[in-house]
Amino acid sequence: MTAQTVNVQKRDEQFTSRTVTRIWHETPLPENPYLSDRCHCHGYDILELTKKRSFVDVLFLLFQGELPNRKQAELLEALMVSMINPGPRHPATRASMNAGVGKTSPTHILPIGLAVLGGAHLGGEEVLAAMRFLRKNSKNDAGTLANRLLSRSPPDEGDYHIAPGFGSRFGGIDPMPQQIADLAEGLHPAGKAVKWGQKFVMTITPQGLGWLDTGITAAVFCDLGFHSRDGAGLFQLLRAPGILAHGLELSNKPITSMPFPDEENYVITEQAKKK
Amino acid sequence: MSLQNKPKKNNTSFWDTRRGVIRTQKGGWVINEAIHNHGFSMMDDLVGKTSFFQVLFLNVTGRLPERRLTDWLEAYSICLSWPDSRIWCNQIGSLAGTMQASPLVAVGAGVLASDSFLYGPGTTKAATEFITTALLQKKNGISIEDIIAKKQRNSISPPKIVGYTRPIANGDERIPAMERVTQELGFEIGEHLCLAYDIEKVLVKKFNEKMNIGGYRCPFLSDQGLTAIEIYRLLSPVVHAGVLACYTEAADSLSESFFPLHCNDIDYQGKKSRVVPAD
Repeated sequence: MTAQTVNVQKRDEQFTSRTVTRIWHETPLPENPYLSDRCHCHGYDILELTKKRSFVDVLFLLFQGELPNRKQAELLEALMVSMINPGPRHPATRASMNAGVGKTSPTHILPIGLAVLGGAHLGGEEVLAAMRFLRKNSKNDAGTLANRLLSRSPPDEGDYHIAPGFGSRFGGIDPMPQQIADLAEGLHPAGKAVKWGQKFVMTITPQGLGWLDTGITAAVFCDLGFHSRDGAGLFQLLRAPGILAHGLELSNKPITSMPFPDEENYVITEQAKKK
Repeated sequence: MSLQNKPKKNNTSFWDTRRGVIRTQKGGWVINEAIHNHGFSMMDDLVGKTSFFQVLFLNVTGRLPERRLTDWLEAYSICLSWPDSRIWCNQIGSLAGTMQASPLVAVGAGVLASDSFLYGPGTTKAATEFITTALLQKKNGISIEDIIAKKQRNSISPPKIVGYTRPIANGDERIPAMERVTQELGFEIGEHLCLAYDIEKVLVKKFNEKMNIGGYRCPFLSDQGLTAIEIYRLLSPVVHAGVLACYTEAADSLSESFFPLHCNDIDYQGKKSRVVPAD
């Protein structure tokens, strides 16, 4: 068979000549247009923000276009502190610790941990799904929906996420996200998503299900007005300090500083072995 | 403090000639003409006629190599594709899998982790630079013992030479496998590899330290005319098949069922519990 030529037609798409942003404005230096003399974030001079506002305020501004009020700033800061470290047993942290102890370039430790934190199980993808779930159901009665979802059969083994952001962890209810939810509700009593989630959890608790880290984070993000698509990346950002700290803690330690299962504890099934 | 005596206008001509335009010596897509790659039409000259590894080599170095060299590289890649989830980069794949991250996340994170100075392709630059420098030293009359001594902190400490120490084990089962491939493909032992063997003999005699696969691959590839940076670039994704194996098994299992830890499986040795001070 001889090769046939294919006529490929270029689409007449009009690409913009300049990329648009509403976030950041750079004023060029008169003597060098590649350097910026002043930078404005949603209209505010960054140096003025540096002097007058907190990191949390400017983070909120960056994503939402306006500075937060005091209540909003307090709530975001509380969430950031509570989420600052997934802990050394969390798979994302363990990935960064593996990188650290394995003498991976230190520049890669954080991206490796954050990549693992992006998953659909207790990761960024679940935060995104939980924000969509909370927003979609905000007008539905939480208890009624929970009962409807409880009528489904849970899996025979492993954890069950009855809805994104809600479920069991290692066969039980994770107490930390519940405590964070109580704290968030106290800080921002008007927060509809956290309040809705608390009602949802009341119904599912007798079945051994509760808030997950991803769920409370999603609820607070909703109450703070973040877009759902912001949720996955912001969750990674919030948890980044702990992931990096644990990875770096091991980066100057010998490779023997983390367990390496011996042959007795690394069991290769017979079918995987050469006969 | 403001900058004093700064010029009124900076000379930005270097960047001005590049602003708004991409110039490449690699190639690119010209619709209804060809997908050009270093003087080849990819669809006419390369697809179905060369191996993927030949094109990888071409993309990195700009040279289309003879098939046997990329067959060697492909065989070598198998040596770094173990499905063992205890290996650090592979375990990151497993951890990504157990969290239901995507396979691309696992491969990306696992490959990043292999940019290590202890194992994987991250050792390439140091191992290649050692052997190429050692060959120059030898040609200048320096003995192998003295080349090794330069890598010792003191006269009794073991030398730290990338390519001759290996985590977990001393000795490397991958070397005889690759020696067989080298022989079957008809490659001669070049001057870098010959020196690498001589160094191993001294290291074994004095320190009982054997060559590892990095200590074999870098001299071999140096003998084929590749530079340290070319080898580093060529081998950058080399662990991905092992990472994917471990990822797949974990991702196909229940979430967080891979190698779970009790709280007390972590040995905390930090400060004791204390009260947060007032603001």
